Amino acid sequence: MQAAECTWTHFEMLRPFCFKSPSTTPLFFNFSKHFQKGYSDSSFFRSNWRISNYPSFMATISSVSTHKDPVSTHDATPNITHQPVQVAKRLEKFKTTIFTQMSMLAIKHGAINLGQGFPNFDGPDFVKEAAIQAIKDGKNQYARGYGVPDFNNAIAARFKKDTGLVIDPEKEVTVTSGCTEAIAATMLGLIDPGDEVILFAPFYDSYEATLSMAGAKVKCITLRPPDFAVPIDELKSTISKNTRAILINTPHNPTGKMFTREELNTIASLCIENDVLVFTDEVYDKLAFEMDHISMASLPGMYERTVTMNSLGKTFSLTGWKIGWAIAPPHLTWGVRQAHSFLTFATSTPMQYAATVALQAPDSYFAELKTDYMAKKAILVQGLKDVGFKVFPSSGTYFVVVDHTRFGLDNDIAFCEYLIKEVGVVAIPTSVFYLNPEDGKNLVRFTFCKDEETLRSAVERMKEKLKKK
Amino acid sequence: MEGKLSSVAKNFTPSSIQELSQLAQKCNAINLAEGFPDFPAPPCIKEAAVSAINNDFNQYRRVQGICDQLALKMKKTHGLNVNPLTDIAICCGQSEAFAAAIFSIINQGDEVLLFDPCYETYEGCITLAGGIPVYVALEPPQWTLDPEKLMRSFTSRTKAIVLNSPHNPTGKVFSRDELEIIAEGCRRWDCVAITDEVYEYITYDNQKHQTIAKLPGMQERTIITSSLSKTFSVTGWRIGWAIAPASAASAIQNIHIRITDSAPAPFQEAALTALRSPIEYFETLRGEYELKRDFCMKLLGSIGFRIQFKPQGSLFLFAELPKDCLLSDVEYVEELIKQAGVVVVPGRGFFHGNESCNYQKRYIRVAFCKSGATLNAAAQKFGELINAKACPKILY
Repeated sequence: MQAAECTWTHFEMLRPFCFKSPSTTPLFFNFSKHFQKGYSDSSFFRSNWRISNYPSFMATISSVSTHKDPVSTHDATPNITHQPVQVAKRLEKFKTTIFTQMSMLAIKHGAINLGQGFPNFDGPDFVKEAAIQAIKDGKNQYARGYGVPDFNNAIAARFKKDTGLVIDPEKEVTVTSGCTEAIAATMLGLIDPGDEVILFAPFYDSYEATLSMAGAKVKCITLRPPDFAVPIDELKSTISKNTRAILINTPHNPTGKMFTREELNTIASLCIENDVLVFTDEVYDKLAFEMDHISMASLPGMYERTVTMNSLGKTFSLTGWKIGWAIAPPHLTWGVRQAHSFLTFATSTPMQYAATVALQAPDSYFAELKTDYMAKKAILVQGLKDVGFKVFPSSGTYFVVVDHTRFGLDNDIAFCEYLIKEVGVVAIPTSVFYLNPEDGKNLVRFTFCKDEETLRSAVERMKEKLKKK
Repeated sequence: MEGKLSSVAKNFTPSSIQELSQLAQKCNAINLAEGFPDFPAPPCIKEAAVSAINNDFNQYRRVQGICDQLALKMKKTHGLNVNPLTDIAICCGQSEAFAAAIFSIINQGDEVLLFDPCYETYEGCITLAGGIPVYVALEPPQWTLDPEKLMRSFTSRTKAIVLNSPHNPTGKVFSRDELEIIAEGCRRWDCVAITDEVYEYITYDNQKHQTIAKLPGMQERTIITSSLSKTFSVTGWRIGWAIAPASAASAIQNIHIRITDSAPAPFQEAALTALRSPIEYFETLRGEYELKRDFCMKLLGSIGFRIQFKPQGSLFLFAELPKDCLLSDVEYVEELIKQAGVVVVPGRGFFHGNESCNYQKRYIRVAFCKSGATLNAAAQKFGELINAKACPKILY
């Protein structure tokens, strides 16, 4: 990109100070966000942190993410001597994510990246144009903390279309920087230190991190192949009156599982019985292929205790825009908004205007999205089967998990390393998605959010170079 | 559901500010309250963002070039050696950089020193992370730092001190001597300085912003946070950063990834253009805002204010109500909305701690990051007020 010369060109003459100038139209504002006194000096306490077994792979990678070869821009004088800043104890176990590490390796080895879950194709023009128009129209200043009004309205309208539920966009919708922030704000806003939260493993890695930040006590229930069904008995014995919340990601990353109505009903009745909150991450709801997506909030008695989270990124192939939202009844929304106001304060303004347009896309857009992804899925799944992987059925998302063990590597990390270096393809080792990494050592995750040529090339490389042992 | 409310929710009290906000809306008041511009952002950086969107910079990314530019700036402006590969985290605005910085170093029970008055959000972040905010009052009318008061505030539990300079709401720019005093405290008590330098390019009367990180022994214990927002009038883009020793920068980056994953991608690209702006851009920025500051001071002077502390930086004027005015800050702001159709911010929201200090209810904050048209309109409103035959409560 050209380094353009930036000048201040919007200088307006300030008339010499006098009282005879015409008035202008004043502007909408809201500064309540600056002053909500929501926090007191309550004493939080922290539970002890388990240090999980780190797969050795991660330890060998430096904790810095970069996409270029190192270029030194400073002189030889060391700037750090003694007493480095002490990192908070609770965060010592969270280093660079596996995704960044794999991407770095991929670049180094020229591998085809079927690891990280973002498309190598771009979002639709009509949404990009809306963002451009918003920038040109001057929508570049702070948006209202919990969302641009039109966007909140669009979210409510979309939710009604998808679930039949009628909600108040002013009181029940909070806009965040991606679903990642919705999750962080929900955890930090609604979970007190020591609260018990149930997670289903494998889980997206930011869940555990943000639960740590909130001081929660995590109870994990493992979903197992081949169908990753919810183990009902285990759930019944884990959930109790002490449980504060349960987190459900459906359609599910990394397995592609979609929670069935039966499963959701069972979970719902247990939550009602034990007065438990439900936090749902539904970012892949429009990538539901084998069955209809069901929102927990739409089940009887559940809306009042559910935070439903979603985002723009996956549905519109604009993962870098960071537009997400949380829908919840007012008493839960309040907590989410509080935390959100301290985490990021406000969400990118022009993108919210574009997202408003996006959510109003016609049904044909979503139908085409599904068709395109199903074609890609077919290429990958058939390809993986031909190569010799044991492929588990994936009903939704753009991920599929496979068992790699017949290729003779010890565990998922070793397999992924081998796959990058010897075959030239990237997958994600799933052990990072479990509290106990052992549970994931036989599985790796592939993504098909790539153009068809990339998928075919990857399959070809694997057919050529991956040999069963 | 009552029992399900978190402790956070239960401590909420409705804000008088919200009521004023609603009143101002009803009266269509001229907005001199909020700290963001009502004039357009520089065209070239908007163009850069538009280009980025068109050129498909729309997926998760971290633009290393921003770090390279920032490292160059740190060297050029402050003489600091910063490693762009290890010492910088890109975040969704200074807001997130600050939140991540706090989460990266504050453990349960750690004390964090803050100067009073200060921007409201710091306290919330600190408490959310389990820290304890401890306020050190700057003394009006010049907002002076009392070294002994500061030193007395450090304890063995003090982990960090937050330094916002140029300062919101007072417009104070901490002097080299004051920075030295703070640095001495940090060194003696082995504390971290977390700075908020968002107004770093907005200083007046040939004052220069200095970062505490360049003082002896400070770079290794300072986390600098800042952003594009105020410098480039793009407060809605959410592009900010933290600059710190590698271990802290790494932790901040990793926390950021768990909070939001990535700052908005196209705006990261545009940031490259912004950060390469020539020196003339910054000089014009400063000159423009200085004119607005002066205009604003005259504006308040015309309705009876005697400004004792001239802002040395930032976009704000923090003015004490005229001596004879019997109204509180909130009452004054209400009257100003009703009678002049202009809205400003009551100062009490920026003060913490000792409630018995009367001066905490005697200040208003005026934002002058507004277009010439807006400021002229405000002037006209005040003019009408003065020219009216009646003698309103707020005029002296």
